[in-house]
Amino acid sequence: MKKQFLLPFALAAAITTSLAAPAHALDLGKLLSGDTLSKGLSVLSNAGEALNTSVKGLTPEQEEVLGHNVMANLLGAAPLMNDAKVQRYVNQVGLWVAMQSEQPHLNWRFGVIDTPNINSFAAAGGYILITRGLWDRIRSEAELAAILGHEITHVTQKHHVKALISSKSQQAGSDLISIVADYNSGKSGAKAGEKGGKALSEIFVRGLDKNDEYVADVNGMVLAARAGYNPYALVSVLQLLGSVNASDSTVALLFSTHPSPQERLDNIDQVVGEKLEGYADATENTKRFNQVKR
Amino acid sequence: MTRMFYSLLLLSSLALAEPGTVIRKTDLRDKPFLDAAVLGNVPSNTLVDIQSRKGAWMQVKLPSGQAGWIKLLNVRTSSGTTSSSTALANVIKTGSSGKTVTTGVKGLSAEEIQNARPNLAEVAKMSSYAANSADAQKSAQANQLIPVQVPAFANSTPTSAPSNKQQQERRP
Repeated sequence: MKKQFLLPFALAAAITTSLAAPAHALDLGKLLSGDTLSKGLSVLSNAGEALNTSVKGLTPEQEEVLGHNVMANLLGAAPLMNDAKVQRYVNQVGLWVAMQSEQPHLNWRFGVIDTPNINSFAAAGGYILITRGLWDRIRSEAELAAILGHEITHVTQKHHVKALISSKSQQAGSDLISIVADYNSGKSGAKAGEKGGKALSEIFVRGLDKNDEYVADVNGMVLAARAGYNPYALVSVLQLLGSVNASDSTVALLFSTHPSPQERLDNIDQVVGEKLEGYADATENTKRFNQVKR
Repeated sequence: MTRMFYSLLLLSSLALAEPGTVIRKTDLRDKPFLDAAVLGNVPSNTLVDIQSRKGAWMQVKLPSGQAGWIKLLNVRTSSGTTSSSTALANVIKTGSSGKTVTTGVKGLSAEEIQNARPNLAEVAKMSSYAANSADAQKSAQANQLIPVQVPAFANSTPTSAPSNKQQQERRP
């Protein structure tokens, strides 16, 4: 579940700090052709390396800008489900789980987007979305908590920044160059956000590092357990996903960007196994879940 | 009329027991506890009907009709005949026309994300629903959620074993 965002402004930030003068000279029109493009890409590659060492140095403000642009793009593809009760409920549960993470004070925001597809997403700055298709299928608050714990882990461990840095594709590169150009010529807001959103698509389709998904599963179980839930609810969710036909379009994006549910269960089996069973008798469901779930 | 038929079909498909496959030989117990009585053992590759879950346990029905509890992680699921009913369910939920079934469900495909136009108003709306820590804690307490200390796993992938620390700090 969830998970696949690029962070374009991270690169912009890295380039402005490490390569201030050349970055100001970037010209979008020239860069997007021939030789200049490959030069531009190598500049980006260097910037990526610079960023690699400074990922942890991104300011909360920079993370917020990145996450905001990613969310604007995703919510442009599918808006929030029109149900304030559900949205507020998911925020209560999500924040409670996030409060057990390494970043309890991040500006965490959660939402359910109106699409039948089964998936969930996270972005820097503490933005997390699950789809209506997933919301409709979950059977307990513990399952929701485990899913959100997985996404919260992607945010706190900055998995999307890592994925961006390892992205070598030309499309992502040229999109990023245009963002950098906009950034440096003082353009901002919707226009830059739009380009940022396009650049994200590459990682969206490609997904995060496979190991980062495994890490998010295991740590998601830990966060759920800390919050007072049965952590094995994540196993139930993965078994549920495993029962959906892989050729079904509702899971196409999820399955193409994640290890299979069977592989994820095998990982939990090997890494967690019985080790969290001391917490398995914790809360499975709540009154508030039954009130909002029809 | 047609819609009602599909709705009934959807309800009935959801009501069916979930199928699963046992991946390793395991004891079948009469209750979801390690010290519960062993009713027998279930060989690897046995097909079971998943009936309910509790903690780290799953209640299953064997092909013989015998029912009992086994560990959740001893079972894997795989897609059976859910595809058509799921596709149908999506058509019903989205109100799309029948042709959507063959061309893919509307919303949030990779292409749609790539072609999306940013919606800043929705981001603002999302932020407007955010909870605050005091409320989240109060609501959690009202729903009997008790926070506990759980150490993080040092390594979360099978390439390296989890630390001993994790095991030592396990809650009894």
